This record gives sequence, structure tokens and C-alpha cells, in this order.
Amino acid sequence: MIIKGGIVYDPANGIFGEEMDLCVDEGRMAEDGKGEVIDARGLLVMPGGVDAHSHIAGTKVNTGRIMRPDDARLGIEPRSGVCRPCTGYTVPNCYAIGYRYARMGYTTAFEAATPIIEARHTHEELEEIPILDKGALTLFGTNWEVMECVRDKDIGKLAAYVAWGLRSARGYGVKIVNPGGGEAWGFGSNVKGPNDPVPNFDVTGAEIICGLAQANEMLRLPHSIHLHFNNLGKPGNYTTALETLELLKDIKPSRMRQVVHVAHMQFSAYGGTSWRDFESKAPVIADYFNSHNHATMDLGQLLFGSATTMTADAPLEYGNARLTHNKWSNHDIELEESSGVVPMVYFRKMLVNAVQWAIGLELALLTRDPWKVLMTTDHPNGSPFINYPEVITLLMSKPKRDAEMATLHEQLPKRTSLGGIERELDWTEIAIMTRAAPARILGLEDKGHFGPGADADISIYDLRPEEVDPSRDHALVKKALAAAKYTIKSGIVVSQKGQILAAPPGRTLR
Amino acid sequence: MRTITITPLKAFEISVEAEIISPDKFAPLSLSQIRSLSIWQGNRKRKLSDLFRAEGDDGPAKVEDVTITLQGDFSRAKRIAEGMTAGKVEAEGGVGMHAGNNMKGGLLSVQKDAEDWLGREMRGGKITVRGNAGNYLGAGYRGEKCGMRGGEIEVGGNAGAYLGEHLCGGSIRVHGDAGDFPGAANQGGTIFIGGSTYLPGAEMTKGTITVRGRARVLPSYQKMEIMSIEGEDFQKYVGDLVEKGTGELFVRVGSS
Repeated sequence: MIIKGGIVYDPANGIFGEEMDLCVDEGRMAEDGKGEVIDARGLLVMPGGVDAHSHIAGTKVNTGRIMRPDDARLGIEPRSGVCRPCTGYTVPNCYAIGYRYARMGYTTAFEAATPIIEARHTHEELEEIPILDKGALTLFGTNWEVMECVRDKDIGKLAAYVAWGLRSARGYGVKIVNPGGGEAWGFGSNVKGPNDPVPNFDVTGAEIICGLAQANEMLRLPHSIHLHFNNLGKPGNYTTALETLELLKDIKPSRMRQVVHVAHMQFSAYGGTSWRDFESKAPVIADYFNSHNHATMDLGQLLFGSATTMTADAPLEYGNARLTHNKWSNHDIELEESSGVVPMVYFRKMLVNAVQWAIGLELALLTRDPWKVLMTTDHPNGSPFINYPEVITLLMSKPKRDAEMATLHEQLPKRTSLGGIERELDWTEIAIMTRAAPARILGLEDKGHFGPGADADISIYDLRPEEVDPSRDHALVKKALAAAKYTIKSGIVVSQKGQILAAPPGRTLR
Repeated sequence: MRTITITPLKAFEISVEAEIISPDKFAPLSLSQIRSLSIWQGNRKRKLSDLFRAEGDDGPAKVEDVTITLQGDFSRAKRIAEGMTAGKVEAEGGVGMHAGNNMKGGLLSVQKDAEDWLGREMRGGKITVRGNAGNYLGAGYRGEKCGMRGGEIEVGGNAGAYLGEHLCGGSIRVHGDAGDFPGAANQGGTIFIGGSTYLPGAEMTKGTITVRGRARVLPSYQKMEIMSIEGEDFQKYVGDLVEKGTGELFVRVGSS
């Protein structure tokens, strides 16, 4: 296969919008190719999208589906062509996840939280998601064995346990959620920060995080620890975030990458003392990331409308359920974790939601190095992944942000700095935040770039980057991003103009 | 006025998803276009003319001028008049499940019985049924927090269980008996039941339920004064206290 004349963005290889041909041979990028020729003259060409943090498979996703039959009605697509029937919006069925990512030009997605004991279920679902290459991060943050190793300060044993856990659960990396909090929740309480002792275990969250980070580097895992902070989603929690990041700055990475990846940073960049004086602390967080190189983040951008919050942070979900008076699922995963699911609607007219919306955008725009920030919505916690084009256009267009802010609560400009940010991201930065950086942060050497031998995952959009101004023509950009002209996965055209042409099974990376 | 008559060609063994039988869908189309509309029967896609005979006035018309007459047995045709905004649908027999769901305006009249989920999540307009209605009349579908939000439903006969579940507005009048749990989780709608019922208003937070026959009242309702409504004495209750509700329940004195 040869892709002719596209305007190629491959930032990992120093290609920033050059007109060039791409060649594919046996599912990989090659020096020369033969056979099918795809005419991409003048069109935007990027590597296939990589989502490093999304909740797409496992028991809590399925719990979301079970408790939300109302959501299943929102995305019904009958069987057609190669496609099996689809349902759902915030918690789509397995097929819909594969097709909808592929339509947007995404070819890889990672499930962000799987307990060891529930791993079989996660993999059953991952197997059913067509097209995408997938992986699952395994939860270790409140695991009894982990806490005992940390208490005994036996990092060697901890590394051995982590290695066993990852192999048993076919996991890709180490996920830590509200360390210690899941155990405390078993007794109806929570830890109040990284230095709070975990009930019945003589350890703190800080010790668990540092222990797991050291074990992670001892094992030279491709990905760093993937961390969901304590106190997530609470006003004033930015101090917890900074305090926790400080703990990790002296740990030496075993590979050319970060020491810690922070999940859905938006939910941990909150100021104020209560929801009444709630405000953005994104500038402080962004400053920290600008001046330190050991951490990366994904946004967890929030968008208005329907969402389903699901996390292994069960006390947080209890709070959500009390706040919204909505349906609530609470689950104890014996010896390992706790978890919860609560449906959610984010309102434009609600100041708190508007501030949350602004924080995600501020983080992306104020952090100078796009290699440190991934564009995600923490699907389906902030918004379903099909709204990625909306997030990308917001980041690329100041007029769009201004128009959006004008419809929101009048107090918003006092609570955030978003209105004063002039920066508009360009295609190189978007290609980094959605392709190159997630692949590098996860340690996926064959993804997110077009170097020879890389996986031939390619997205071609019906957009002429040399003619279209994303700042002004954001509606056009959003439309083009929602349905790629071509999505190519391992050298096969899987989607064309939003229509799925082939649905090969993807691989599970581990 | 434009009248279109739809008649099933035979009794359906497998249900038909008949959401296209609605004034909004028919109004801009000619008769031949209506006949070639696609319609699902089970998991098969068919043309309307494979299943129904469509006759009447040709040519486009305004939605409010369209009257659709349903002749014959429609008890296995689901979602008739889904989301209709104006016009009339007159069924000379019964209608299948989910008829008039999400309806926003116009009139749906049914001469015989309606199946379950009649007028679910209705927003406006009017539904009248001469016979009986099934379960979940004017309710919200599975998982939904809000059922009927506006409009009017009147049933001459009896209604099934969970009448007006998750009701958020509008009014439902049933002249006969209602099944168990009418007005469960009512958040602001009005229900009148001419006959008897069992445990009305469970988890009701707002709204009104009036029962003219017998009713077993939940223990989580507070007994208030006796009030006179249209010359008859009704015992007033307030609840459901389980949900700190302020809903009002009236049961006729002497009937319980």
C-alpha cells in the first residue's frame, strides 16, 4: 500500500506537516510498498490515535451497562455490513467501542483499571472489541500483598509480586487508585491524603506509591506507574497532587520516560475549600509540570452532557451518589480494591461543572510541553470518547472557547484563567497529544509514529492543513475529525468516511 | 385534511416496529412513498407494503392536517405514533406496546385495548383509550429517571401495574381500576383512578394521586385532614416520607 501526497504529521520522527508518501508492507511501515494506492493529496495524515486512559472493558464497565439501560437506548445502530449491532453512548457495547474509535482515526486504546481477580472478565471484553489494539493496566494501589511488602520495606518481594500480578492478569502496567483508600473504604472511611495511615496496615499511601514506583523501575516496565491521586474530585485537592508528585521526583526512571503518569489531572487540580468557593488551580499544576520532568498527565477533560463515572475510588463514588441522589453501584474486590459506578450529567449552567470544564483546557494550554499532556476525557467519567473532536477543536480555537464561555455561568471568568489564554494548539501539538506522546508514555515502540517497522496504523482526515484555519473553521475541523476519511489499522483500511469496511480483531498488548 | 388508512395484511406472529406510522412521517410523503418506507419485523427489514395496505389521500400535507386510521389488529405493531407532534392517529381496534411514546402533540385515540408502555415518556398531546391499558402506562422506560412530562392520557377501562412510574408532569385519568404501585416515584404529575388500586405513590416526592375506589395506603404516608372534592369526602395523605416527599394522596372516605 502507498499513501500518496498527504501532509504528514509524525512528530516522533521530526516530521511536522511535510508532503510525503507513506509505504506499508505486511501491516508495517516500510521504505517502499506496492499494491493499493490511496490518494491523500493535501490531506492531514497522522499515525493512528492512541488512547492511554479509557474505561472500555471489565466488570465496572459492565456494571455501568447493567445499571444504565437508559444509556443503551442512546446509541442504537442496527447490524449492517461487517458491523455487529451497537448500543450505548457513555457505556457502549464492545463492538461500538471498536467501531467508534476507528471512525475517529484511533487504533489503540488502553483500559485503565483492572483488578487481578477480575482480569478474566476484562480480557473477555477486550477480545470482543474489534479493530483496536488494546491493553489493560492492573490495579495494585490497595492490594493487601502490596501493602504487606511495603510495610516490610521489601521492594524485591514487591517487584516479584507485581511481576506475578501482571503476568497472571495479563496486565500491561501498574495502576494505583487512591492508594490505601480502597482498604479504608472497607471500614466506611477514606484516607485523607498520602500521609494518612491505612487502617489495619502500618503503611501510608505515600509509602505504597513510592514502593510501587521503585518496584516498577526495578522491573524496567515499559510504562511508569499510572496514578490516580488521593482526594480526587474534592475542592482544594491540588495540594495533595503537588505533595504526591514531590514524593516521586528523586526516583530514577529505568527507561527514557517519566517516573509517574498522572491519570485525569483535571479531577485533581481543584482549589477552594468547598464547592461554594471552588476554583481552578490548573495554573499551579501546569507550573509544576513545566518545571519538573518526572511526571506526565492525561487531561480527563469534562464536557457538558451525560457521563457515567466509574472508578476503583469507591469513597469518591459514594460522594457522587450522595451529591446527585442518583443510582449507585458499590463493589468490594476482596483483598485488592473497592469500586463504584454512578451516572452523571454535567450542566452548563452549574458553576462547578463549568469550572471543571475550564480546568481541563487550562491544563492542556498552560503546560508548555505537549509531550507531557495527553488528550483524554477519562471515558466515560468526563465525557464519552466520541467527543474527542470537541476537545481537540476547543484546544485549537480561541474563538470557539470564547463562544463557549459566553454561554456558561457568569462567575466562571473569576474562577479560572481560561479566558486570558491566547494559545491555540497546532496540528503538531495535537498529533503529539493524541498519538506520539501516549505511545511514548506507555512505552509502545511500534505505535504513534511512522518510522520503518512501526505498525501501519494511519489516520487520514478530509482536511487540508495548509488551507484550513482550525481557529476559525473549528466546525469544519470537528466534522472531519469525527469521521476520518481513511482509518488504516495494520495496513488494512478499516474505516472510510465514517463507514466501517473491515473489522479485524485487534491484539491485546501485555 | 388528509386521511390515510392502514390495514395489516395478516395477523403478525412476529412483532413489527411500527414507529413510522405517525403523522410526522407520513405528512410529506406521497402514498407510494409511504408504501415503500422500510419497517422492521423482528430482525428483518421490510417495506411497509409487505405488511400493511395503505390507502387514502395522496400528496403531501401539513402534519396537523393528517389523520391516520388504523383498521384491524395492531396489537403486535409497536411504537405507533412515536414522537408525533401534531395530527391524529385513530385506531379502530387496539394498539401494541409503546404506542404514543415520546409524543409531543396531536391526538392518539384507541377504540379497544392498548398494550404496555402506552404514552411512555410522553411530552404533550392527548391519548384516549376506550378499553384497557397495559402496564407502565405513561411511565419512564428502564433506567430512565423521568416518565411522562406533559400531556394527557385518559383510559376508559382499567390500567395495569406501575401506572405513571417516574411521572414528571402531565395528567393520567383511569376510569376503572389500576394495578399495583400507581404513581411510583411520582415527581410532579397528576393521576386520577376511578376504581381501586394497591399501594399508590411509593417513593412519590411531588404530585397528586386521587383514588375514588379502595386503596391500600403505604405506612410511610402521613394521614392529614378529610377534604371535600366535587361533593365527595376524601382522606388526604402526604408522602412518601421515605423520600421526604410532599406528594398528595387522596382516597375516598368510606371506600377503603
